Amino acid sequence: MSAADSLEFTPGYDMPVPYMKRLTDYYLALGYGNPYRWAHFADVPFTPVTKPLAESRVALVTTAAPHKEGAGDQGPGAPYNAAAKFYEVYVDSSDSHAFRGVSHVGIDRKYTTAEDVNSFFPLRAMREAAASGRIGKLAPRFCGTPTNRSQVTTIDQDCRDIYAILQEDEVDLAILVAN
Amino acid sequence: MSLTARYLEARGIPSVVMGSAKDIVEHCGVPRFVFSDFPLGNSAGKPNDTASQSDTLELAFRVLETAPAARTTVQSPEHWSVDASWKEDFQNVDKMSEDELARRRADFDEIKAVGQRVRDDAHPDRRDGTS
Repeated sequence: MSAADSLEFTPGYDMPVPYMKRLTDYYLALGYGNPYRWAHFADVPFTPVTKPLAESRVALVTTAAPHKEGAGDQGPGAPYNAAAKFYEVYVDSSDSHAFRGVSHVGIDRKYTTAEDVNSFFPLRAMREAAASGRIGKLAPRFCGTPTNRSQVTTIDQDCRDIYAILQEDEVDLAILVAN
Repeated sequence: MSLTARYLEARGIPSVVMGSAKDIVEHCGVPRFVFSDFPLGNSAGKPNDTASQSDTLELAFRVLETAPAARTTVQSPEHWSVDASWKEDFQNVDKMSEDELARRRADFDEIKAVGQRVRDDAHPDRRDGTS
């Protein structure tokens, strides 16, 4: 036993999963060259929050998908389902209780069943925050954004569409939930 | 989603990203980030655990209120489980046999084909070869 053992350090593997390395190695092992190039910027914009949350209108932006008719299994425990993908920003009422799924994205299917929509789509918690006065108001609509490989399309089309919707709804702050 | 945060922020709408792929989000660079060290697909808290879900959202609110500068990452204090071995499993080729890789290669070919069909049906004008 070394002296450091007495400090009871957490095991080395218990650190944030190195997804970029895992995925790069995975696709190379599958025989696909041309590894994905993740977005990377040295500079990051920042807009200070100047208004109290209790007076702010807050919008949810999600990667979760609406149910797509005829696209197969999209519910809890579904295998990866590329047919359930969508390719344009959608909106729905923040009062809606319609189905939202994540069968179309690369969640961890060994440990995540997506059986509870609230674990990846926090609209219920946001409604409660509005009801309790923690935030001023929930925006009338939330936005769903596509999750596709083309970053050019994401910026030129999807980001632009979401910004236009948030402006129209006079949103002060945005909560963006990736999955 | 990181690109969206950056786009909105640059145009005057403060944002916070909730997510679990820490390296990918930070590699892009976002204004504010609440990191939950959970398997992908639980960015808003643990399933069937309303306290975890409301605490995670509250952390996002606090990060909006208090972040002093861009690239502020705050990690949720929650752990997915006592045993952290789940972190070693996700798409880890070091743990896959040749048979497993061959099976996954075939599955991936099919997924790509489905994706291409859906995309072509939805956007005949946008055959950009991406997935």
